[in-house]
Amino acid sequence: MIELSDINSYYGESHILHGVSLAVQDGEIVCLLGRNGAGKTTAILTIMGYLKPRNGAVCYNGRDISGLPTHAIARLGIGLVPQERGIFPSLTVRENLTVFARPGARDSSRPKDPWTLERIYRLFPRLKERESNLGFQLSGGEQQMLSIARALMLNPALLLLDEPSEGLAPTIVDEIIQILEGLKKEGLAVLLVEQNLRVALAVADRHHVLNKGEICFSGSSSDLKDNDFVLRTYLSV
Amino acid sequence: MDLFLVQLLNGLVYAMLLFLMAAGLSLIFGLMNVVSLAHGSFFMLGAYIGLSIYQITNNFWLALVLAPIPTAALGMVVEILFLRPLYRRGHLDQVLMTFGFTFVFFDLVRSIWGSNIRNMAVPEALAGAVQIGAGIYPVYRLFLIAIGLALALILWLCIERTRIGAMVRAGVDDSAMASGLGANVPLLFTGVFGVGVALAALGGVAAGPIMGLYPGMDSEVMIPAFIVIVVGGMGSLRGAFVGSVLIGMADTFGKTYVPSMALFLIYLVMAVVLLTRPQGFFGIKHMGSSGNIPPRNAVATAPTTRSRIIGAMVVAAMAIAPLFVNNHQLTLVSEIFIFAILAMSLDILLGFTGLPSMGHAAFFGLGAYAVIVLASLFNVDPWIGVAIGVLLAAAGSAFVGYFCVSATGITFLMLTLAFSQLAYSVVVKWRDVTGGSDGIGIPEKPAFFIWSLESRMVMYYMTFGFFILCYLGLRRMIASPLGHVLVGIRENEGRMLAIGHNVQGYKLLAFIISGTIAGFAGGLYALFNGFISPDAIHWSASGDILIMVMLGGGGTLIGPAIGAAIFLLMKNLVSSYSDHWMLIIGCVFIGCVLFFPEGLWGTFRRLKPVRAS
Repeated sequence: MIELSDINSYYGESHILHGVSLAVQDGEIVCLLGRNGAGKTTAILTIMGYLKPRNGAVCYNGRDISGLPTHAIARLGIGLVPQERGIFPSLTVRENLTVFARPGARDSSRPKDPWTLERIYRLFPRLKERESNLGFQLSGGEQQMLSIARALMLNPALLLLDEPSEGLAPTIVDEIIQILEGLKKEGLAVLLVEQNLRVALAVADRHHVLNKGEICFSGSSSDLKDNDFVLRTYLSV
Repeated sequence: MDLFLVQLLNGLVYAMLLFLMAAGLSLIFGLMNVVSLAHGSFFMLGAYIGLSIYQITNNFWLALVLAPIPTAALGMVVEILFLRPLYRRGHLDQVLMTFGFTFVFFDLVRSIWGSNIRNMAVPEALAGAVQIGAGIYPVYRLFLIAIGLALALILWLCIERTRIGAMVRAGVDDSAMASGLGANVPLLFTGVFGVGVALAALGGVAAGPIMGLYPGMDSEVMIPAFIVIVVGGMGSLRGAFVGSVLIGMADTFGKTYVPSMALFLIYLVMAVVLLTRPQGFFGIKHMGSSGNIPPRNAVATAPTTRSRIIGAMVVAAMAIAPLFVNNHQLTLVSEIFIFAILAMSLDILLGFTGLPSMGHAAFFGLGAYAVIVLASLFNVDPWIGVAIGVLLAAAGSAFVGYFCVSATGITFLMLTLAFSQLAYSVVVKWRDVTGGSDGIGIPEKPAFFIWSLESRMVMYYMTFGFFILCYLGLRRMIASPLGHVLVGIRENEGRMLAIGHNVQGYKLLAFIISGTIAGFAGGLYALFNGFISPDAIHWSASGDILIMVMLGGGGTLIGPAIGAAIFLLMKNLVSSYSDHWMLIIGCVFIGCVLFFPEGLWGTFRRLKPVRAS
């Protein structure tokens, strides 16, 4: 699905990602863990083309997309749920969902059961209730739901989720875990950025741990759970 | 007919014209963070294209409908070719780029349609007047109100009720997020820019029959339109509408009921709104959102022995230059020295503190008018006039600065622009004192100590001496702790605030220093020229100073002085064999913004091999 190979990204002159390589296969949830400032969000920004990697390649279905403009990358079928949620404050909930909605990328396999407004409202009944509220009137949890729902309305083949559990109450985090599990059953590929180990272990198949822009651990959930050194040193559990 | 009702309708007519300008300006700003200074030019261009279509087809409606099309196409070409490459460079460069185009379009209009005022007839169907109450009112004006309201409604429906409109609003909220969801934001920018230009062009054609067409009609509506979006809130269509009605009414009723105050009324409204609600009535983006302009040139390191020697040689060459050049060249170089002082004073604000002022000529004018008005009306010695002018410039910049320094970036630019136009209108209207648009002069130049300034040689050495003094003084200031604080504000205002600096206070101080020196330069100019007219403080004169600074390289102090020299030499040289000096200087400026954002001196300095110290 998507493969980053030997990516080096910079903000101006500061070198953030040092030769990062990772891949997400079809229908797989891969989690990128690490502390604040480890380069997790930078990896997402690099995939989306907000940041051009100085070298290395970002391949999507075998094609190098690292030179494409952001909107072209999004249209390939990548749904973005950014860290700050990026809700448009002066659009209603409904407009947030529909404004950039698409039936899915042209060439890639379209989902059998595409996401529509009705289906989204079934999955997120709360959004239906708040349909005509403006974006800035939502609570943090509602914003997170809306951000995920909005990305789904693009009918993506790959979802990029940047710290969906950040700043939310535990019950809402549980809801998000449930939603992610449901998406996994549908066969959606997800690259999840997290600091919350509970969320990561609950949904992801494989994990990569970033430290100072380098991947210092890669493995399955059980590998991660057993690796005390990584948990203590890089994740401060 | 009731005077009140007539004024109400006139106010609405003006409001609708303002709205056609302000709606586009506001949408473009909301989406792209760019205030298009060329927006007035498109208004003017639309009017003239409409005039030509009218003359060919003899059909006003065709002119009204067709003129916006080529104008919008031109606007989109400008956006694609000239603004797009600058997205990554920050919005001020884009604003400067649009300013370069005001020169190009002005020259274009003047050479195609001539500089005389042209009249456009009211279409026959709307030529009459209707009975309203006890009096009559021109149908055409009612038509303008109707078309303005209709367009406002259509625009509102498009923005609020369509998917494209939702995309525009999403782009205004967060253009990076919109592109992350697949929106082609550059295309959206171009589209909105085109629509904005089309509205301005339509406004131009519609205004033609009541305003008349002349090169310079652009500023007539653009400055009030700026005030409208400052008052209404940038980026908001509703704000543009409410602001237009408010400013239109304030201006119209002010002229009728308080004629002596009318001029200040709209500026007063602006000042009150800014003090009580800085983001305007419906502002989406807060004033500060555009930020200070990014640093272009690093602050120069201490002079090396080599640069001292080169500097000394240049000074020596200038000192003996009068032996080798003719009188005309001597005068030109004296003028360059004066404008070099002026450009360096703006550099304190623009290059070092990061505040782009588009109203700097006002302080220059204050200094110059003080000398000439006091000398010609009260027989005050011109040198005392210079001193008074400097004090007035200091007081004026303290007053204007008080309102402006809480803003940054493009908002700052618009506020300084508005204030300088206030000064311009005062000078034009206060005929008894300032001579109005004819200007005012002094019969003879005073002496500099024992030497008469009638001598070009004395003038040369005096201006040269003051230039060197100002340069050394300002360089000293830049190297002082005060200078470091100012540069710190340019680089990161928030951090300077966080480490305990009174940022607003320092910005105000920079504004006052800069304005005071500009006042001094103005005083010298009055002595040099013996005559001053409102042209010297028109907003485009402020733009000229901005060009000088950018041409040479902001933040380098000597760069702006070099920029002033290049600007005046070019103006002199080109205008001696071509009428199109504005076109040429506009193109040079555009090229400079595109290819040498650090300015000529800044680029040169960067290219010099850096030796390890």
